[in-house]
Amino acid sequence: MLQKPRYIDLNKCTACGECAEVCPVELDNEYDVGLSNRKAAFKLYAQAIPGAYAIQKTDRAPCSLACPAGLNVQGYVQMVGQGKYEDALKIIMEDLPLPGVLGRICPHGCEDACRRCEVDNPVAIRDLKRLAADQFDPRKIKIECLPPREEKVAIVGSGPAGLSAAYHLARKGILSTIFEALPEAGGMLRVGIPDHRLPREILDREIEIITNLGVEIKVNTPLGPQLTVDDLFKEGHKAVYLAVGAHRGIELGIPGEGAGGVRQGVDFLKELNLSGKTPVGKKVGIIGGGNVAIDVSRSAVRLGAEEVSIIYRRSRAEMPAWEDEIQAAEAEGVKITYLAAPQEVLTQDGKVVGIRCIRMKLGETDSSGRRRPIPIPGSEYDIEIDQLVPAIGQRPDLSAIEDVEGLAFSRWGTADVDPVTYATNREAVFAGGDLQTGPWVAIGAIAAGREAAESIARFLDGRDMAEGREPVTPENPVYRPIPEDNAGKAREKMPELPLKDRKGNFKEVELGYDEDTGKEEAHRCLNCGYCCECFQCVEACIAEAVIHNQKPVEREIEVGSAILCLGTHVFDPAPYEDLYHHESYPNVLTSMEFERFLSATGPTSGHLVRPSDKKEPKRIAWIQCVGSRDTAHCSNDYCSSVCCMYAIKEALIAKEHTGGDFTGTIFNMDIRSHGKGFERYYERAKSEGIRFIRSRVHSITEADDNGTLKIGYVEESGEIYEEEFDIVVLSVGMEPDPSAVELSRKLGVDLNKNNFVNTDDFSPVMTSRPGIYVAGVLQGTKDIPQSVTEASAAACASSVSLAQSRGESTKEKVFPEEKDISGEEPRVGVFVCNCGNNIGGFADVPGIAEYAKTLPNVVNVDENLFTCSQDTQEKIVEVIKEHKLNRIVVAACTPTTHEALFRETLRNAGLNENLFEMANIRNQCTWVHSHNKEEATEKAKDLVRMAVAKSSFLEPISDLMVDIEKSGLIIGGGVAGMTAALSLADQGFPATIVERSDTLGGAARDIKKTWRGNDVHEYLSGLIDRIEQHPIVEVLLNADVTGSSGFVGNFETDILTGGKTRTIKHGVCIIATGANASSPDEYLYGKNPRVTRWHDLEQEPNRIKDARTVVFILCVGSRDDKRPYCSRVCCTSSIGQAVNFKEQNPEINVFILYRDIRTYGEKEALYQEARDMGIIFVRYTIDKKPIVTESDEGLDIRVFDPVLQRELLIKADLLNLATAIEPTGHEDIAGYFKIPIDDDKFFIEAHAKLRPVDFANDGLFVCGMAHYPKPIDESIVQAMAAASKAAIILSQPCIKVSPLVSQVDTEKCIGCGLCAEVCNFVAIIMEEIEGKGFRAKNVPASCKGCGLCASSCPQGAIDMLHFRDRQLLAAVSAVR
Amino acid sequence: MPKSKSDKLSGSVMVVGGGIAGMQSALDLAESGYYVYLLEKSSAIGGVMSQLDKTFPTNDCAM
Amino acid sequence: MEKFEPKILAFLCNWCAYAAADLAGVSRFQYPSNVKPLRVMCSARVDPLYIIKALKAGWDGILVSG
Repeated sequence: MLQKPRYIDLNKCTACGECAEVCPVELDNEYDVGLSNRKAAFKLYAQAIPGAYAIQKTDRAPCSLACPAGLNVQGYVQMVGQGKYEDALKIIMEDLPLPGVLGRICPHGCEDACRRCEVDNPVAIRDLKRLAADQFDPRKIKIECLPPREEKVAIVGSGPAGLSAAYHLARKGILSTIFEALPEAGGMLRVGIPDHRLPREILDREIEIITNLGVEIKVNTPLGPQLTVDDLFKEGHKAVYLAVGAHRGIELGIPGEGAGGVRQGVDFLKELNLSGKTPVGKKVGIIGGGNVAIDVSRSAVRLGAEEVSIIYRRSRAEMPAWEDEIQAAEAEGVKITYLAAPQEVLTQDGKVVGIRCIRMKLGETDSSGRRRPIPIPGSEYDIEIDQLVPAIGQRPDLSAIEDVEGLAFSRWGTADVDPVTYATNREAVFAGGDLQTGPWVAIGAIAAGREAAESIARFLDGRDMAEGREPVTPENPVYRPIPEDNAGKAREKMPELPLKDRKGNFKEVELGYDEDTGKEEAHRCLNCGYCCECFQCVEACIAEAVIHNQKPVEREIEVGSAILCLGTHVFDPAPYEDLYHHESYPNVLTSMEFERFLSATGPTSGHLVRPSDKKEPKRIAWIQCVGSRDTAHCSNDYCSSVCCMYAIKEALIAKEHTGGDFTGTIFNMDIRSHGKGFERYYERAKSEGIRFIRSRVHSITEADDNGTLKIGYVEESGEIYEEEFDIVVLSVGMEPDPSAVELSRKLGVDLNKNNFVNTDDFSPVMTSRPGIYVAGVLQGTKDIPQSVTEASAAACASSVSLAQSRGESTKEKVFPEEKDISGEEPRVGVFVCNCGNNIGGFADVPGIAEYAKTLPNVVNVDENLFTCSQDTQEKIVEVIKEHKLNRIVVAACTPTTHEALFRETLRNAGLNENLFEMANIRNQCTWVHSHNKEEATEKAKDLVRMAVAKSSFLEPISDLMVDIEKSGLIIGGGVAGMTAALSLADQGFPATIVERSDTLGGAARDIKKTWRGNDVHEYLSGLIDRIEQHPIVEVLLNADVTGSSGFVGNFETDILTGGKTRTIKHGVCIIATGANASSPDEYLYGKNPRVTRWHDLEQEPNRIKDARTVVFILCVGSRDDKRPYCSRVCCTSSIGQAVNFKEQNPEINVFILYRDIRTYGEKEALYQEARDMGIIFVRYTIDKKPIVTESDEGLDIRVFDPVLQRELLIKADLLNLATAIEPTGHEDIAGYFKIPIDDDKFFIEAHAKLRPVDFANDGLFVCGMAHYPKPIDESIVQAMAAASKAAIILSQPCIKVSPLVSQVDTEKCIGCGLCAEVCNFVAIIMEEIEGKGFRAKNVPASCKGCGLCASSCPQGAIDMLHFRDRQLLAAVSAVR
Repeated sequence: MPKSKSDKLSGSVMVVGGGIAGMQSALDLAESGYYVYLLEKSSAIGGVMSQLDKTFPTNDCAM
Repeated sequence: MEKFEPKILAFLCNWCAYAAADLAGVSRFQYPSNVKPLRVMCSARVDPLYIIKALKAGWDGILVSG
């Protein structure tokens, strides 16, 4: 298991959001499906758990990796983008002390690596660096240095390597002296680059940065006989760094080179830069193609040469000088001749008068990767010049160091050093820069100097110089994908000095960006690494929670089982682009996008607007089955099971948002409202005017410039329509997430053809790998309640397999003994929290604290920066003991998130946890009054006063413990009941099944096969066997429940069996009373033997064999006024049977008359198969039901076909009816356990989505068809889920009940019973007391603490613990 | 069945995925005496359900 | 005459309105500061007598939210 770093300490983060506030990196907010932005420091969503921020970071950006010095390019680019130049410089100067210099002359390899190149042009990184140094004087940056040490170091050479070494040494507290041979410091930066590219003041200014740290530069002090390396050591330097650069020009090696008027390029530039002038000819010829050649040429032009030409032996493509420079030179009048090489200097009187050149052509590629130039024989020609400047390269001048003992040199005349430490063979002598590399880029020398400084510091400390310094480059770096909408923002142009103003002077040509241009340019950065490591968040976080150097942690964990709940991802409608234009039309949204528009936490704060013009939409269309039930645009032949319902929901909510004149239209193939309560919801939508059009939409176009959309569609009857809409929502389906698929495979779990985890109908949460279970949509598309149920079922399966180790891996916390405070006067301690800035920044915390001291009973007040921090908890414990506090008030954030923490602290201090009260002065005060400090302060005082007032009346409350009868009663012996019983018994909890009939099996006995074709009878007999043989399962047949009493953990239920009543004690009860197929009084059922029902027909294979035409009618008795619900199983069951009939007898004609086909999930494939086999589906509507009459040959069935628009007559041999599933009469059970049943007589669970197997009353659960009609696999899942919930109770040593319950004063009670009547949880019962009649009695185990009984009691006989009248009224009365 | 190094059945369970299903599995197991490792790849649990506005058919807030 | 600023006491249900008020904070919604929340475990806890007593104690308005 790899735990990715969060970069924020969960224990310290207070979720104040300051980090996100200062974070410069804007990213798509995936929570809002990209409809809004978030920062790289972010909280996934407002109510996220953990309620802490995180930083998104991947590998370092490629620009940074490309930089020889590894500068945090993304970081400073972002800072420049924010106009935070000082912060940008701080980031740059971590590595580079010369920002303005390199901001001008760096060849910026970073820009070649910039991923913006894949979009258009790279970000102008170098120019942005310069902008930072232009806008803020780098000398004013505070450079943090360690305290100075005694050891001194000598550096030879004041070029970039030497300066960098001195700078980085100084930061480590090591001061150095730089010995410079030339009269001015700067090395090649000084003498190699003319002023028009790098003004000398800039260099002077930035050298000052280094000398300001205490570095001394001695100019005119060359190494030589008068000053040797040995001398430097003798002077007391503890180490020497050699960085003399490469200042010697390389000769052409042709005749006549010694003539007058021939000058090496480096010498030409050196003299020019040191003295401001140098002799220049009228006609200057320059040999070479690098930046030196260009610099010489442009300088010669400025110095007044009439003709300046560069001769280069390769072509322009191979030229090493920068393209910008070449262009500038040409613009200034320099002539460049390509593919020519000098052969001889022509002289007259010892002076150059011309040069003989030969033309070249390009041959094979050489070792430098460029094509080798080859002379063309006989192509010689002469040109007339009076000055020749060779600029074909430089090498180090070794004259002063070649004899130094222990130094070694390469055959190219460069110094040999350790590539990591830059140590030479001689101890304490280091070397780097051009001296080591030969002529290279300044930023490389800067890096070398920094590394040498590190080595020198380690050397002086006697530490290993190499340890941990091997360069690491990520092999396959992961970067932020390039956002699609970022193209077309071209690179900003660098303003330049006009050509006419350049002659005769060395004024800087590139003028630098202005601020606005710079910001624009910086915003082109793609933030490849997400977080840019600018560390703004570190500074902003007062809680010190940001940890940028956190590393991924690999952990091995030992588990007994695993549950995969990897979910799915929402279908991307890209394959439908040509049809529905989601990418190109702003008003075509996916359903998830629309969902976010509806949400109060969404991009528009819940204001529904049309994206194109932000106007309120009035006409919205939904297009169903996008990415589902479609093998033409994608390969998803399954139904996503939820889209019909969420579309209806979105339509209804959108109508609520927009009010009256709203039209919602849902284009669909079938409406699948097959879940509990769904059909009524569908009917409600129809009655509220939502239109349902059965059609495939064939086109969407934009009807006007405002983005109004026109939908073209064909109705069932074949008629073509066009209609305009403001928004079109694509009801996108679900698909397995590729990463989930990959992980499942890695874990060795089999997947089916749609990449859902393969499971069996009879073990729906079991994967192919023992010990690994699955739940949720990874197993197949389903809605939330089904996912939640499956999750509990998987927990149950896991629990069954590990039951013997229950409690082995968990630990219980031990607290000190509780102090008795009875009889003590209240001594209130108040802790006022600053919450960093969150409270302290918006209210006067010291003022609040002072005020708190004046309140009654307050004996101590403390202020904390973060009251929730671990050290503060320890402090609070001490303060409680020291001041003998017996009531604690914390004025801070919200009890919702922090009350539990402080309660634990009280327990650690030996106080009862109920002696605690919070004043919410953050969420409900400073955060909502952040514009008015005075008002926030006053309100905070009020809240503290109310809390203190209440706290004085708080009292210790003991935990309520209730013993548990560790067994379960299961009512109903069908598949659900038996599964539940086994699931409990296999965990060691005895179970008793009460079955009303004389046999186990329930409704499943009538079913032959599941929809996948699994044999139900075989399964059932196996299940019954297991039940009958299980040592701790008892079965009572022909048994009826006749009464029940008690509460969770302690029920007593009367069972009438064999004429006797037996009372069974049990801790939990699972109700699985099932449902049955109804018998209709229509379609000649019961009147004609050819008309059968459900599985009757299946049981008589001979009748099928002889039949020519079989008809199925669906929705018989379902989805009508009497039973306005869908029976869920009939479509699949009927189609399954029809397919079987067709398989047995391909000649048979099968008609299925339906209203909507509801083969949800992967059952859709069965429907497709049936259609492919030639089974004929005819849709009917409830107002035009089929008419069945007897005829001589059999049955005449008439039905109106909406496609043909005419009535069909089907002459049928057999008619099978899918009649409604109706619950077994179980109203009596509902009465005994006081559990609710709905209008259709199914039991009502505690919460339709989140508590699908629980009842509101603790200890009672429901599963199987007693809850709602469902197929066997879903019944099994639900039974296991119910067992999981029941086992939670049975596995406790005893039940710890929330003690914040009602308390009845039996003296005041008059026994009116109003409390018991209003209580929704049977938590108040009326108990007969001898001589007094009935009196109310509370049942703490059932009480939810709502207080309805208390506020209803006319006698004031009921009070609520911890929310007593006197406690609340104390707060109420504390008004100012 | 995987055995731990001490040859005893482990009382811990790994739940992969912190959406509504993963959270429910984890809660059930933790409440009934098992140590649960809940693995989630993003920085907060909640999954797709946390992105939804309301839920059908009760129109309850998904959050 | 000075502008009348009513003092309002808000009984907030722990499970919904109080959580909503917290979320308003997380979202930094701004609203007048003269409303003082008081947490109860359910709006059903609010005995009508509390309202009378609160008005007598000096509150100008009572909000029960749940």
